[in-house]
Amino acid sequence: MNLALSIREYRTAIILTALGIGLVIAILLSLTIGAVSVPIADVAIIILQKAGLFQNIAVDSMHEVVLSTIRIPRIVMTILIGAALGVSGASLQGLFRNPLVEPSLIGVSGGSAAAVVIMIVFGGFVIQADGWMYTILLPVLAFAGGITATFTVLRLSNQTGRTNIAVLVLTGVAINALAGAIIGLAIFYADENQLRTFTFWTLGDLGGATWDKLMIASPLLILSSAGLIFFSPTLNALALGEAEAYHVGVDVEYTKRVVIFLSALAVGVSVSLSGMIGFIGLIVPHVIRVSFYADNRLVLPGSVIGGALLLVLSDIVARTVVSPSELPIGVVTALIGAPFFIGLLMNAKRKNEL
Amino acid sequence: MYQASNISFRVRDKIILRDINLSIEPGAFTAIVGPNGAGKSTLLKVMAHEHTEYHGDVTINGKAARNYSPKELAWVRAVLPQTTTVQFTFTVEQIVMLGRHGHKATQKENAAILDEVMSLTGIDHFRERNYLTLSGGEKQRVQLARVLAQVWEETVYPRYILLDEPTSSLDIAQQQLIFSLAKQVCERNIGVMAIIHDLNQAVQFADHLYFLRGGKIVASGEAQQVFTKSNIEETFCCRVNVYHDPCNNCPYIIPERTMQQPLSISSKR
Repeated sequence: MNLALSIREYRTAIILTALGIGLVIAILLSLTIGAVSVPIADVAIIILQKAGLFQNIAVDSMHEVVLSTIRIPRIVMTILIGAALGVSGASLQGLFRNPLVEPSLIGVSGGSAAAVVIMIVFGGFVIQADGWMYTILLPVLAFAGGITATFTVLRLSNQTGRTNIAVLVLTGVAINALAGAIIGLAIFYADENQLRTFTFWTLGDLGGATWDKLMIASPLLILSSAGLIFFSPTLNALALGEAEAYHVGVDVEYTKRVVIFLSALAVGVSVSLSGMIGFIGLIVPHVIRVSFYADNRLVLPGSVIGGALLLVLSDIVARTVVSPSELPIGVVTALIGAPFFIGLLMNAKRKNEL
Repeated sequence: MYQASNISFRVRDKIILRDINLSIEPGAFTAIVGPNGAGKSTLLKVMAHEHTEYHGDVTINGKAARNYSPKELAWVRAVLPQTTTVQFTFTVEQIVMLGRHGHKATQKENAAILDEVMSLTGIDHFRERNYLTLSGGEKQRVQLARVLAQVWEETVYPRYILLDEPTSSLDIAQQQLIFSLAKQVCERNIGVMAIIHDLNQAVQFADHLYFLRGGKIVASGEAQQVFTKSNIEETFCCRVNVYHDPCNNCPYIIPERTMQQPLSISSKR
């Protein structure tokens, strides 16, 4: 069989595998780097031991503790959040046929952050902070806030049964401003301690990972991301336009509702874990589209892996440059992402691909 | 048979369509002509069940369109709009493949259908090209290939294609090509309904002709029989002369040059 032809047939699988290998390397790298540097061999052995292999090999117990209580939960959370943000950005861009859409634009992130901040500042009157109720309630509230904001935006941009994209973008801006104002207002009433968490919610922080939080959040993140990937072929049909997608057999309103619900779930839960991390949902899908091609059967799974990859790399930078302190992760994603993104855009502009 | 019976459609208190009866037969080419704002596109959207808030019934192969799911509708009818804007960079092949979206078919079956419709529409030599870099005529042929791919499979039930002024921005060679292809696929137990602006083209390709004006059907029937001076003048408010072209054995019109105000025919709406 012709080699070029078989490469074309399997190119999606090839690209995804390559991205996956990149992610694995980044993960191993991230696990070795930090205040205590752990040799890569130890990292590998400790991970394999967690999987029940090589139990007889002895490793430095401090390395073991650092990895299993700090770095591994952190990397798991980083991967899940990066993946969730990447794939929701890709899905929403596909759904609205607009490359400028990102989760924050339709109010998901702002709504989630506002709900969480209100909970942190005023929730203390209702339930005990740090209790288990708190751990469960935060993601739930983040989700509720995200989805409320999103459905408000959608409701307002509905024009005789269709979503008017221009109105959507503008109401998104308005709802975001409102969410920002609510956060600001909450901050006004916050005490010293709560104030310190302000940067956490607006610029993101991956430092708070614990196995407890992950137990609740990871099923939600995995299910919502996987659910979105399931819509890849449908989003391809939507690239023709809503009416045309309906003509080829897509239930457009159902698709809209489910994709938005799953995106709001993914982003809302992410925000509850790590605060607002911008840029991943916007640029990762673009990078995949511009570097390879726009078929959503590549772009969605590619954004899962690519989002995780970008966030893991950003986290390495955030932890190392000002060590032992840490940069807010949102600052790093933008610092790495923006120039790279501009470079790609210029390249695509030259080739007339936008 | 694809049938619209007693269709009325209004947007708020403005009546767009009133009491329309229309049928598309499998194996035949049905054309709809009428002036701008007559409700042609709205009628097509009602037929495609894209607008659902209409009064009356649309039945496809004996079953009400309301009782079809979006996927089932995709198995029996395909729609070619005037223009389709695609936001992201897809290849020609990927666009045509979208016509197979609602079908359960193996990759091999789909590939075979793709090959057939792409060679029929003459686009197979640029199947790997970026759709956004194509010319208007090429784009529309790709969209036609997508529409054909959707209803290409031979099935026990007839399938239908609805074309909404598919050639409005194309040169005459491309226009003839699109309509000839549409006419040609009628043989596959496919019924074609097209909105056509050019009256001469309409009568050249259509088996059945409907004249639409102010949301009402003014005249309808076998194309060559209803293509009369009086029907055309009443529908379009424009004086025309009808001649006969011996080459195509088909009537044609030439509008009269007039310096006066457009002919006004009782503007009852």
